[in-house]
Amino acid sequence: MRIGVLAIQGDVREHRRHLEHLGAEAPEVRRVRDLDGLHGLVMPGGESTAIGLLMQEEGLLDALTARIRAGFPVYGTCAGLILLARDVEGPPPPRLGVLDITAARNAFGRQVASFEAPLDIPALGAAPVPAVFIRAPRIVRVGPGVTILARWQGEVVMVEQGALLATTFHPELTPDLRIHAYFLDKVRAARQAS
Amino acid sequence: MQLGADGIFVGSGIFKSQDPAARARAIVRATLHYNDPKIIAEVSENIGEAMPGLEIATIAASERMQERGW
Repeated sequence: MRIGVLAIQGDVREHRRHLEHLGAEAPEVRRVRDLDGLHGLVMPGGESTAIGLLMQEEGLLDALTARIRAGFPVYGTCAGLILLARDVEGPPPPRLGVLDITAARNAFGRQVASFEAPLDIPALGAAPVPAVFIRAPRIVRVGPGVTILARWQGEVVMVEQGALLATTFHPELTPDLRIHAYFLDKVRAARQAS
Repeated sequence: MQLGADGIFVGSGIFKSQDPAARARAIVRATLHYNDPKIIAEVSENIGEAMPGLEIATIAASERMQERGW
């Protein structure tokens, strides 16, 4: 399986390592041609306005939106989630807008307010998943077609909608592979469906 | 970037160049496509003069930062 990792900003090598540990090839994506032959895409964190502007310049917003409408699986973390979100509170970046949620930017505060928390994610089994929140957004609205997969202190932190997966936290920063494995399962299901 | 840096910090190199907007754009694109020589070559064309340098020997002793203070 070839899962691209958007390489404009973010923990690119960490995402790649997690995917490679799980047996996938994980090429870096910067240009539309880098989407060729991919079965899915991971969109890491970073600063969503800068990432969105560069994606727009590269033609990646149009190219990806078309593929997503045809069922292409994408997993967005943090800024990646913001770029997937239909609506954004805070300065709205150019984005894909395909995931029916509203994301509030930097909702937990400044860098010093970043934290780690063990999450109960029933879909991933009984053992809590360590989650790293870095200037994370909050999901403040969830549309009808979106499934909530995890909460932390009542806040929605993980959702899926069809072949799209999104978390406000960073699984690439802990040794736990379950979130990436869950995304690969979604990719396999999407391939079987097509 | 090819040496493994996570990003580039640049300030006066842009502000004191001949065409700051063009140079800023070029640096952003070259950083993004740091392993693509064709793009680096393309973005390096027609961006005006770089920030001028000052040869150290031409700077008066009173202006040399490392010799100030006590």
